[in-house]
Amino acid sequence: MPSFKSYLAKILTVAALSGGTVLVSPITAHADAGHNSVVHGANIGKLGNISDVRKTVEIVMQDNFYEPEKVVVLGGETVRFVIRNEGEFVHEFNIGTVAMHATHQKEMAMMVEHGALEADKINMHMMEMDMGNGMTMKHDDPNSVLLEPGKTAEIIWTFPENAELEFACNVPGHYESGMMGQVKFQ
Amino acid sequence: MKIETAAGMLLAALAVAVLSLPAMAKPYELTVDYVEIDTGDTKTTGIGYNGSSPGPTLRFREGEEAEITVTNNLDETTSIHWHGQILPYQMDGVPGISFPGIAPGETFTYRFPVRQNGTYWFHSHSGFQEPDGAYGSIIIEPEKREPFRFDREYVVVLKDKHPHSGARIMRNLKMMPDYYNRQQRTLGTLMDDVAKDGLSATLSDRKDWGNMRMTPTDIEDVQGFTGLINGMSPEQNWTGLFKPDERVRLRFINASAMTYFDVRIPGLEMTVVQADGNNVQPVTVDEFRIAVAETYDVIVQPKEDRAYAIMAESMGRSGYAFASLAPREGMRAEMPEPRTDGPLLTMADMGMSHDNMPGMDHGAMDMTSQPEMAGMDHSNMPGMDHSAMNMGAKPADPFYASGSGLIPKAVNGGKFLSYADLKAQKPRYPERPAMREIELRLTGNMERYVWSINGIKYEDADPIRLQYGERVRFTFINETMMAHPMHLHGMWSMLDNGNGKWNPVKHTINVNPGTTVSFETEVDEPGEWAFHCHLSYHMASGMFRKVIVEGGPETALNTNANGN
Repeated sequence: MPSFKSYLAKILTVAALSGGTVLVSPITAHADAGHNSVVHGANIGKLGNISDVRKTVEIVMQDNFYEPEKVVVLGGETVRFVIRNEGEFVHEFNIGTVAMHATHQKEMAMMVEHGALEADKINMHMMEMDMGNGMTMKHDDPNSVLLEPGKTAEIIWTFPENAELEFACNVPGHYESGMMGQVKFQ
Repeated sequence: MKIETAAGMLLAALAVAVLSLPAMAKPYELTVDYVEIDTGDTKTTGIGYNGSSPGPTLRFREGEEAEITVTNNLDETTSIHWHGQILPYQMDGVPGISFPGIAPGETFTYRFPVRQNGTYWFHSHSGFQEPDGAYGSIIIEPEKREPFRFDREYVVVLKDKHPHSGARIMRNLKMMPDYYNRQQRTLGTLMDDVAKDGLSATLSDRKDWGNMRMTPTDIEDVQGFTGLINGMSPEQNWTGLFKPDERVRLRFINASAMTYFDVRIPGLEMTVVQADGNNVQPVTVDEFRIAVAETYDVIVQPKEDRAYAIMAESMGRSGYAFASLAPREGMRAEMPEPRTDGPLLTMADMGMSHDNMPGMDHGAMDMTSQPEMAGMDHSNMPGMDHSAMNMGAKPADPFYASGSGLIPKAVNGGKFLSYADLKAQKPRYPERPAMREIELRLTGNMERYVWSINGIKYEDADPIRLQYGERVRFTFINETMMAHPMHLHGMWSMLDNGNGKWNPVKHTINVNPGTTVSFETEVDEPGEWAFHCHLSYHMASGMFRKVIVEGGPETALNTNANGN
């Protein structure tokens, strides 16, 4: 188990490399799942352009599940996700593979342990705290959004031709107890 | 046309009338019978329901009206208590408090609205029928969807089945309180300790324990049981089937008379989603301790095509229960080697180090460099496991006395659930300050096997009087060396574990030796209720109170009375 500092350093390095663009999201987590196929060996798709959007999917976050729990997409399709947190807890919407989510869950557990993430709020000051190297825990990943209760965000995502993908909430305990949904390719 | 309209309106009116009545649940009929309980090693006569022990799993849906008809085929009075159910007190099933009990040959019909959901259980509240096998489980499905998801579910009921009847155990304990303590220290362990600690330290240690009329192995006062899961011994191997990748909900219920279990499933993490029938914010653990009468629901996701062991070792390591989760019938998981390093109580568990040594930094104490161990009096704390007190990265579990010998550790070095981890998923009541505090010292005299509250046993005690509408804070101070699972009937217990508005809602609150634990209750159910330690032989020997709720809506009482 690496120390927290070196763990964070790794996260931050990956975060800096990813350089995703934030859309409307108030804050995005250091989502390991947010990086492209080169990093993870799985093509999960990429950040999409608004001009390519043919379909909008609304996702409602509840405590602790999504409505709907299945999204059907066409191979190569660009989808605009409008994600609304109607629960009383912080939730994440993250597109990735099972393995990517598993990695990300460990990082999210670390955020909770260090007070950056509480059940119903994100501690921005912790997220934005200078880690001593000019970087912070806050960063942007195009495939994920972490939302406080009552908040809404959008993700525009271009899916690959085919992949085994899930959308998931990696807040500790949420994925394990079933806060995930299937991306089905038509 | 007009007539049709009128008829239509009448039909609509009827439909509204019907819909506004609570739906009747499927009525249940239970018989209370003498049954044979076969653990593979022993065949004993016990008590069960509908011809078997454990009894059936009763299923309800939140919002229904439950109806359960109970016929007593025993030659003694019986009763059924619906553990954790919020219901009219006449339906609570405690002879002498709720009702007179059910006489031999008689039938009693329980009727109550089902106002909650989750995992619960039921058991006899008469004599030692519950230790003798009179227990079963209850599943209540919620009106709305669960805040979690699972593909299949199993009830996992733990039981410490003893070859002796409950009445015989009670007689033996009264005669000789350490009758069932098979882990007594012997001349052999004395010599081992002398070799390890030196003669004077060892003798000083033994003298301290002797003065307290206790021994460090007083963790489980009734040993020699077989651990059962759903009525089956380790050899009989209860098996729950799954398909790899499925989420499986396991509803753990500890229906034991006396035994706490440490539960794990090697190779799987368990996400705890419910405690005592109330959903909690999910917390993923490697192992958890379940006190007598508690329930924990966990979700596991076995991914491999193999059998997994459900291993439940007793807190004192004197016994275990075992079962399998398997992808196919007829498979048996490999049973992990039971831990033999039974914990020893320490002076901290006696309350000796608890209050009179504030601020002592045990972690910083280098005991090995102290030349005169024997001269250190109680700060010496013999038998203390110093390795358990590494105050470095992980703070010790605040629900154990600092330096306690009982602090559990996960076998794989991972996460062991603490009471401090429990947070209500959705608080039942708005947060407000308690109006008063009632302090209850948990007391006992081990030499005479008398257990009591504030030094007074049940038959000599006045009832605790509560006022309808108040919020009361109960504070337990455990002055004994045993853990006590305290159960208040009829109203919820909000454990104060420092999580404020998310303090978990429970029906059974475990209080470890040498600790002080508080819970709060919204006094919102009129009537008379039982409040007791759920260890069968502690309850029977006096650790019990009647609670009377004064005031409250007359209508509630009348309605309840009509419901009889």
